[in-house]
Amino acid sequence: MQTLAFWLLFVSFLGAFAAQVTRRVQLIAAAPNTFSLDNLGVRTSRFVVDVLLQWRTIKERPFTGLMHAFVFWGFVAFGGYTLTEFLYGLGLIDLTHAGWFHAYRLALTPFATAVLLGITYLLIRRAFVRPVALGTKVSVESIVIALFIATLMITFLLAFRLEEGTAAERVNWWIHMTVILAFMALIPASKHLHLVLSPITVFLKSTELGNLPNLDFEKEQVGLETVKDLGSKIVLDALTCVECGRCQVNCPAWGAGKELNPKTIVLQTQEAVLAGNQERKLGEIYSEKVLWQCTTCGACENQCPVGIEHLPIIIGSRRGLASNGDAPEYLGAMYNNLERRSNIWGLGYDQRTKFVTSAELETFDPARHDVMVWLGCAGSFDADFQKSLKSMFAILRTCGVKFGVLSKEKCTGDPAKRTGNEYMYQELANANIADLKAAGPKKILTSCPHCVKTIGDDYKKFGYEVEIVHSSVYIEELTRQKIAADTSRDKVTFHDPCYLGRYAGKVDEPRALLERFGGDISEVERNRENPYCCGAGGGLLFNDKEEEQGTRISDVRFKQLQATGANTVVTACPFCSIMLKGAGASAQSDTQFVDLMTYVNGKLQPRA
Amino acid sequence: MILVIAEQREGKLNRTTWETIVAAQQLAGVAGGDGTIAVLVPGASVAGVAAELAAAQVKEVVTVEHAALEPYTPDGFTAALQDAITQLAPSHVLLPHTYQTRDFAPKLAARLDRALLTDVTGIKAAGAETAFTRPMFQGKLTADVVPQGPAPHFVTFQIGAYRVDQVAKGAAAAPVRALSVTVDASAIREKPEPPFQQAKQAVDLSQAERIVSVGRGIKEQANIALAQKLADALGAEIAASRPICDAGWLPMERQVGSSGQTVAPKLYLALGISGAIQHLVGMKGSSTVVAINKDPDAPIFEIADYGIVGDLFEIVPAIIEAVKQ
Repeated sequence: MQTLAFWLLFVSFLGAFAAQVTRRVQLIAAAPNTFSLDNLGVRTSRFVVDVLLQWRTIKERPFTGLMHAFVFWGFVAFGGYTLTEFLYGLGLIDLTHAGWFHAYRLALTPFATAVLLGITYLLIRRAFVRPVALGTKVSVESIVIALFIATLMITFLLAFRLEEGTAAERVNWWIHMTVILAFMALIPASKHLHLVLSPITVFLKSTELGNLPNLDFEKEQVGLETVKDLGSKIVLDALTCVECGRCQVNCPAWGAGKELNPKTIVLQTQEAVLAGNQERKLGEIYSEKVLWQCTTCGACENQCPVGIEHLPIIIGSRRGLASNGDAPEYLGAMYNNLERRSNIWGLGYDQRTKFVTSAELETFDPARHDVMVWLGCAGSFDADFQKSLKSMFAILRTCGVKFGVLSKEKCTGDPAKRTGNEYMYQELANANIADLKAAGPKKILTSCPHCVKTIGDDYKKFGYEVEIVHSSVYIEELTRQKIAADTSRDKVTFHDPCYLGRYAGKVDEPRALLERFGGDISEVERNRENPYCCGAGGGLLFNDKEEEQGTRISDVRFKQLQATGANTVVTACPFCSIMLKGAGASAQSDTQFVDLMTYVNGKLQPRA
Repeated sequence: MILVIAEQREGKLNRTTWETIVAAQQLAGVAGGDGTIAVLVPGASVAGVAAELAAAQVKEVVTVEHAALEPYTPDGFTAALQDAITQLAPSHVLLPHTYQTRDFAPKLAARLDRALLTDVTGIKAAGAETAFTRPMFQGKLTADVVPQGPAPHFVTFQIGAYRVDQVAKGAAAAPVRALSVTVDASAIREKPEPPFQQAKQAVDLSQAERIVSVGRGIKEQANIALAQKLADALGAEIAASRPICDAGWLPMERQVGSSGQTVAPKLYLALGISGAIQHLVGMKGSSTVVAINKDPDAPIFEIADYGIVGDLFEIVPAIIEAVKQ
């Protein structure tokens, strides 16, 4: 009788689970396939670290993350137990009296205690503490789920106290099993679907941060315009979101009071996908204004514990807008500059030639030079940044490195790529790749982290591979045996550029270099692999305006840097330098900004 | 005879007309022919503009006044100019490459079935013929083009390609005469709305001919008055770099640079501006840049035509005195 009743319950609840999951699987299957399984080794190790060891969950919020890990590890440990009880309940096979099962149950008690501890903490956090990342509304469903989990653990532990066959024991068993089934029926439509999906999503997440495959113009691809253009990984991401808000609290735009909230973008995607209107315009779903507020710093994507990739959604939608001529006015001016003068400033290339002459740079020749230096838009035109490049040249010459530059350079296309003007990006990229192939460098050195990302990662998608290193990494290795002429020490702080610290993961090299040549680093909040953006990325260099919503991102970052108490801010990216100097000047501060290369050269060379 | 079509609105001459006259004077030297130039001024009431243009070294100024010519409509202009050109029978018709010209010139040339070369930046002899230089493919290439077919050939000149200050003035004012044309007002299909300026910026620095711009070197708000005095003496607009406007010393709409306005005055006087790139991109189109800065290494000197290394609080009063004299 009990077996029959359990079967009925099992079939109806599991049916509800299966129906909901099937619908979601169909949505993923119907989307254009964007899944990739390259770099299996990296994916596997990331799966172990981020899923099994819960590292990404713990890293940012250690205590909460550990409590979550308790619940997760408990669930995994309980797998065999739950299966055995189901086999018994369905009358298929009774293993509950096996000797190993008793030992297994005993072994589970510490896990059960840990889960109970973890879920109680998480319940209190969600219901009463309510950090801003979790949103303003209390989620009733989350509270029900938490109570379910607590009930499961309590009934499990209680079973040790109840004699088998008694009514109390039976009631306890039924409660335990019914809760599991109800839990199953509840999760597909809730954020708890991440229990099922997140291991898959983490495994399928690109191994490259901000991975945007080239658009194929032959196939008339123009980027994401409507819901039907959203690829399978984006749909999977949207259904996986656990709403923890790590993307939100790490977003510099959100932090500066702008409307952009990466979590909202993902949840809006989820809603749109489930609503099923394939023709809805993405510009309406997310609002165009919000899409143009992203600096492409990558914090959202990098901090996400469940493998969501935000940048393909945001930049993909920008591509859709840009293809229809719906880019904002300030980008129109920049695109004009790129189109007519091949650089973001719209300045004439005679200025680059003037700099190349005054800095006595040779045209790169692979037979004579060890390394090719890529100047970039800033290095070619920004007199301020050219000073730091001259410092780098002085260091290279002191160390006997032979180097040369290309006779001409165009912008790598980074600002076009990140703002969705893919056609212009590909034009610039193809022209540069042709010049680079003709010049034939084995190794490229640059002081611009954006050029590192674009030439190093994005040009690979055209089949062009070359080793490109940032000056902080190259000079760090080069000067290991060098002794500073000036051994004074200064209290400084270091601003990690997003495209160096987060994208390239180079956080130790600039610090080692800085410390070697006299910098005592007073670390700023939001540093290393998770810096707070200066506000320049994603084409926003030209829209860091007072009249925009919220405060300037550069002002927020400048205040954080000021709070370190260091009067010298060391930067390692021309665009960070422009933004932060602007913010410092506006704040009427006497904070000094110095590029890493200039700082090192100042200490390395004997004073004249 | 080379005919220049002047552009004016409500009695105010568009100064690009002078550039076109410079081009005509050069063409007269290159193209041969009788070498005479006439300037045609279309509009409703253009006596003032005609008198102004008569200062140029040209054979005559021809006014074409008709109610259908103001406000501007492409149909009205095409009809009136078709008639006038037929009467005058010039060898070339030269126009400034303004938005108005872009609107009616193709229609006019097509109506007369004559060649039209647009956005021309230079004139040169090509054997017995005359070639006109014009950009192609978004300015990536320039081509020398020789117009074919019967005269007149229509040529429009890129704004800024010729310099107004190179115009040859006549010893005496050129004669002005009126030419009457027939325009069938009922054939004009466009009904223009009154013109309006999009209220974008309260101060439109982009039209300023002279700008005095201040940077952090001005030190304190009270010193803005000194810069203002210089601006008044020069008849210039006052502008600033970002920190000055952020501090509220000058209103936001006077900010020049990538996060402010883009300007292209004839004279840009930078006081205590270091010349960060985001400022430079906003004023790189200035014809003459004069920079005053204490720091000889300031990037502003990279693009300045005249640089003064020194204390602006000594230099500026001296300039004001000099200008007053």
